[in-house]
Amino acid sequence: MPLDLSFLDLKPAAARFMPASVLAPLDGPLEHDAIATFDLAPVSNPTEFIHNQMSKDAEHRIHMAKGTTTLAFKFAKGVVVAVDSRATMGPYIGSSNVKKVIEINPFLLGTMAGSAADCQYWERVLGTRARLYELRNKERISVAAASKLLCNMVYGYKGMGLSMGTMVTGWDKKGPGLYYVDSDGQRLTNHLFSVGSGSTYAYGVLDAGYDYDLSVADAIDLARRSIFHATYRDAYSGGSVNVYHVKEGGWEFISKTDVFDLHYEYQDQPRPALV
Amino acid sequence: MEYNGSAIIAMTGKNCVAIAADRRFGVQALTLGMDFQKIFRVTDRTYIGLSGLATDVTTLNERFRYKVNMYRLNEEREIGTKTFAHMVSSSQYEKRQAIPEFPWRFGPYFVEPVIAGLEKDNTPFICSMDTIGCINYAKDFVVAGTATEQLYGVCESFWEPDLEPEDLFETISQALLNAMDRDALSGWGGIVHVITPTGVITRTLKGRMD
Amino acid sequence: MEAFASTAPVRVPLEHRFSPYTDNGGTTLAVAGSDFCVIAADTRQSEGYNINTRYSPKLYPLSNGSVLAIGGMQADASTLAKRVEQRLEWYQFKHDKPMNTQAVAHMVSTMLYGKRFFPYFAWVTIGGMDENGNGCVFSFDPVGTIEKHLWQCSGSSSKLIQPFLDSQMGHKHELLPPGELTAQRATLLVKDGFTSATERDIYTGDFLEIYTITRDGRTRELIELKRD
Repeated sequence: MPLDLSFLDLKPAAARFMPASVLAPLDGPLEHDAIATFDLAPVSNPTEFIHNQMSKDAEHRIHMAKGTTTLAFKFAKGVVVAVDSRATMGPYIGSSNVKKVIEINPFLLGTMAGSAADCQYWERVLGTRARLYELRNKERISVAAASKLLCNMVYGYKGMGLSMGTMVTGWDKKGPGLYYVDSDGQRLTNHLFSVGSGSTYAYGVLDAGYDYDLSVADAIDLARRSIFHATYRDAYSGGSVNVYHVKEGGWEFISKTDVFDLHYEYQDQPRPALV
Repeated sequence: MEYNGSAIIAMTGKNCVAIAADRRFGVQALTLGMDFQKIFRVTDRTYIGLSGLATDVTTLNERFRYKVNMYRLNEEREIGTKTFAHMVSSSQYEKRQAIPEFPWRFGPYFVEPVIAGLEKDNTPFICSMDTIGCINYAKDFVVAGTATEQLYGVCESFWEPDLEPEDLFETISQALLNAMDRDALSGWGGIVHVITPTGVITRTLKGRMD
Repeated sequence: MEAFASTAPVRVPLEHRFSPYTDNGGTTLAVAGSDFCVIAADTRQSEGYNINTRYSPKLYPLSNGSVLAIGGMQADASTLAKRVEQRLEWYQFKHDKPMNTQAVAHMVSTMLYGKRFFPYFAWVTIGGMDENGNGCVFSFDPVGTIEKHLWQCSGSSSKLIQPFLDSQMGHKHELLPPGELTAQRATLLVKDGFTSATERDIYTGDFLEIYTITRDGRTRELIELKRD
């Protein structure tokens, strides 16, 4: 059953604020190619409006869920992705069970840092675009292409207040892929990334234990440990650690562990030797 | 208040009072310590919890200790809980404003004190204060810190009159632990003191470390 | 005479500060159980220190059997509820079946995100039954972040009620494992939570409206809260 995307037909006056490249159909008449247009405040500078509304001193501030530690790294046996699960609104913990790994399709994963809504929405759009690519080209989209699609889509809204720091991972013809994409339009690839308020703590543990030839079990343990230590030191990270492993046949969900249990588990273990 | 983060409660029971606090010492998002003392013994029957800016917590504790010791030497008796509360209030109000001519006389201390104790006849006494010493008396419970709303919610639901010391301990512990779990800036374990006419029960709580 | 903001070649009309939002307070709450869903909200509608009305429902029963709970700004809430209901009607005409709760949730998410740059000032929660007859609750932030919960409280008293629910429904920090949550106990806890919150939160009070959704349908209950 096709997705009900009839809302895409609604083209408010706001469309004139969109860059032409975003509005132009890519090729063919498929209605799903159209990118949604968004309502804008009826003022001459809608960008300024939304910026003010989200600013600290706005009278009725629109608070968005934020604060995170996420990480992903490539190694000999694929990619390991690990994230925490806390959502904070100011100092208040809005949720401890957020799914910060977004399952774009059976071969692609995206992580969530920054505004939860922006990540969820654009990675969902990416899912539909990846599917359309498959139907047109009779092969799966590469991680490079998928991440570039995402990057280009959010770049179209640069300066309008989107907030997104995501890692797109997956497996394609070239093997494991890992890209960092953010709402400024930055797109990078590397062996190892960590994003979010707790990323510095995660990098500390990750860099000490990382090796390209790590076994799958050790890689998973390292990823989980890195997120755990970030939740320990960073007030805005916490909840549970979700771990995924991306391999040739697609991604696999490994585990969800409450850091409350992890803390007492690690406490009783001897400290791992540093490399 | 949100620079270091804290959660403190005091509750009354039947001839007993309890005071509890979290143990986090942090600077905004960064957690530096998990054994920071926020509750201090004043006398065997009076405890004070200081929530707010950590540097002022330490300073004020020492100022109060000095004042209580001077009181003991002058009066040759221990200070009463209510008397102590008023002393704290005055000390806070003293620093209400910075005086323009003396810019080094800063003010106020960024601390919201919570006081719990038993009076001479063992009636429970608890109160909290704002940063400039306005006393809030309560018959049931008082709260302070970054998790105040969460604490108010759970205390309002959990508390009942005339709790015995062990029940009071359970009530205050559950209130603290569940409130802290919804606040990013407090937590990392807790400490509870239950003050009874015969002595003080002190226990640390195993909490979430995130 | 028309006023202009500047003498620059492109002349735009002079604008005064555009502040389209008001917070009308109030609290919404939803609980999902294995075979039921309880969704509740107070009915006070306020603006600053004034109470506009003591009965302005924040719960919108939908034609598919689910209930939409919206806090925040009343004007945005009723507009959103109206638009959701219209989409449900279109769906019914097109597919000749009601939309399931999960689909409504994802639709609401995209509807909210469609106004990402001029958001609804609305905190939305949806409660209903899923396709397997289990209770389900979804909540959203104003720009459409979607999350599935077992219990969720949002609005002015969310900080007061949520930790209480974590304790009583999640049995956090208790040695005994949680037992099965029944609709009766859930309703009891919802009432307890609201009566407690009414004591401390000035934006919550007057009446508590509760919908209980089961496989057999929807029942409504209205109880009194303190009016001070």
